[in-house]
Amino acid sequence: MAVGTPTRADQKQQTRTLLIETALDLMAERGIAATRTIDVAERAGVAHGTVFVHFATRDDLVTAVVGEHAEQIAGRLHELAGDRATVRDVLAAHLAGLAEHEAFHSRLVMEGPLLPPYARATLLGIQSAISAHLAQAAEQEMATGAIRRMPLPLMFNTWLGLIHHYLSNRELFAPGQSVVERWGPTLLDHYVGLLRPTGEGGKQ
Amino acid sequence: MTSQCIACGMPMSKPEDHAMSDPDKDYCLHCAHPDGTMVSRDEALEGLTAFMVNTQGLDEAAAREAVIELMTKLPAWATD
Repeated sequence: MAVGTPTRADQKQQTRTLLIETALDLMAERGIAATRTIDVAERAGVAHGTVFVHFATRDDLVTAVVGEHAEQIAGRLHELAGDRATVRDVLAAHLAGLAEHEAFHSRLVMEGPLLPPYARATLLGIQSAISAHLAQAAEQEMATGAIRRMPLPLMFNTWLGLIHHYLSNRELFAPGQSVVERWGPTLLDHYVGLLRPTGEGGKQ
Repeated sequence: MTSQCIACGMPMSKPEDHAMSDPDKDYCLHCAHPDGTMVSRDEALEGLTAFMVNTQGLDEAAAREAVIELMTKLPAWATD
């Protein structure tokens, strides 16, 4: 075989990657539940049966797509947040990662409860990547008095609830636009303001 | 280059992310005992469940169920 000629295994891997990327794009556009395997095959330019050569069931394809998304978004967060990040840095990194993968992530948040168990668990896995960085930064800042003391789960869920509300209602907050780009800076400023110790703008 | 811990899935982008700061180890600092050996499946399950409960406030049984599901695809514990 000539040097550089793809092997059968390479071609198989390329087709698998193409199917995952195509499905990810289509699910971001149309929704995860609304995307049919035949739509993925047509967009990818392969026979419908080819999808099932790589994924035994539709749920297996959804699992692979959600896994790919989780790897991208958690990897990006880890890269952007770094070890010596402040709470604000971590949240800004979360928003930056979301902005890059907003369409699919919004679908995942909205459709999560209806998805196969692994896909649901993967959303929690992504949230764990955020909560790990946030807890590390928050514990340091609570210890120095830079932010108010509060239970970590409530701190995390208050942020996530805010962000997920905007992601789930993109068409109300930013029709046809990125809701993270339009509202992210405002939400970040607002939330970080809530964390300030009483007496520094936290007093009502 | 970023890799993922085989035992918990954490991204590892620098030597300090790996057990004993050793880039040749394919598991992370959180999944290692003080002597550098990798945690057992039960230890990983307990640790990851406690982490989700402590940082996200999840119900313990619900967190455990999610962790068991995630572990099916992690190379160290994969079942398929």
